[in-house]
Amino acid sequence: MKKLKTGKYRESDSMSNLICCNYPALLVLSRFGMKLGFKDKSIEEACNDNNVDVKTFLAIVNLLLCDDINSDNVNNSLFIPSLILYLHNSHDYFVNYRLPDIREKLKNALTQELKDLNKAVLYYFDEYVSEVRNHMSYEEETVFPYVHSLMSGKKNIKYNIGMFIKQHNQIEAKLTEFKNIMIKYYETESTNEINNVLFDIFNCENDLALHNAVEDKLFVPAIVELELNTSIKKL
Amino acid sequence: MNVHIKIAVAESSVIVRTGIVSVLQQLSINHSGISEIEDAEQLRSLLGRQKYDLLIINPLMPGLFSLQQMRKESVNHDMKYVALQNSLLDNSVLKSYDEIISLYDSTEQIKEKINSLITQTDSAGNSESLTVREKEITVCVIKGMTNKQIADTLCLSTHTVISHRRNITSKLQIHSTAGLTIFAIVNKLVTLDEIKKYQ
Repeated sequence: MKKLKTGKYRESDSMSNLICCNYPALLVLSRFGMKLGFKDKSIEEACNDNNVDVKTFLAIVNLLLCDDINSDNVNNSLFIPSLILYLHNSHDYFVNYRLPDIREKLKNALTQELKDLNKAVLYYFDEYVSEVRNHMSYEEETVFPYVHSLMSGKKNIKYNIGMFIKQHNQIEAKLTEFKNIMIKYYETESTNEINNVLFDIFNCENDLALHNAVEDKLFVPAIVELELNTSIKKL
Repeated sequence: MNVHIKIAVAESSVIVRTGIVSVLQQLSINHSGISEIEDAEQLRSLLGRQKYDLLIINPLMPGLFSLQQMRKESVNHDMKYVALQNSLLDNSVLKSYDEIISLYDSTEQIKEKINSLITQTDSAGNSESLTVREKEITVCVIKGMTNKQIADTLCLSTHTVISHRRNITSKLQIHSTAGLTIFAIVNKLVTLDEIKKYQ
């Protein structure tokens, strides 16, 4: 993601400035279900209006804007239910909107004559989408329920967040490979349609990488902390 | 090559650290992100979690534990360690690092050093053209044959098949069967009628 403004945003900064200077932050808004039309409201006011935890919002926005943050400094100020809501909506965005949209555009951009090749291309893409689906439904069906039970003070001895860390792979890698294969081997006219779908894939790759960064750098450390506190309470 | 490497820069001075990051970004190395690490404690916690391919580190960072210890704790055992030298240092400190970058190295020197480290990790095959044998094996793989079946059909040992497959992956940078299929169709190694799962 291109860095448009350096330095971190704070509660008192203007929400519309944030978006105007950093359009990728729009994705964060929709995942928190926030309405546009901020007038001159500060980030804090806009978050309060939409019942969004401002610290979690800022943690994600600041992660989006700088390539790397010190993950150990931010986790105690996060509100886990907000974070889960964000991740859940983000899953929904990829699986039900972004990837199907790319597939549709891809299908229309392929050169008619290359029948066999097109079939293989769509097969690759569909296989990828089903991997993403599995990856995300594991989080929805196993990880989030586990966190919910942790928050209610129950510690499941059969599961811990370490198991998630171990199997959590970078889901954008295979999309990168797909894009590379298309650019290297798919001989076709450089049309607006094919450019459009490749631009979308480049963007989607970044979105997925950010989604993973939110999980690895914000979500996981917050849950590790929660696990520690839950076991202390038990003693 | 499309190998994306993950780099970390451990240096306590923000000025030096961001300087290195900005030089790295000019090098047109394919990287999937550069992490900045400020102190030894953060380094320790990240090494245990993140799989870096390359760590550029100031050997004089306060509180730094030994290189042997780092190698032991890192989740990536093949990680390369590059010492960032900004003052006179005893050779015995530097010799265990894979490479040394001086604060006064030029961009070209840094690029050359990093590239030689990456290609080492990257194994031999740089050419994208597959040998006849590798093409045969590619076709078998996309038809869904197991290593054992391929070995029996081509009268090879399973071990040889595995090593051919490794070379194919590294030459083409394609890790999935579905990706190999696209490659094979483009290069007319196979038609879709021959592959069951596409029917």
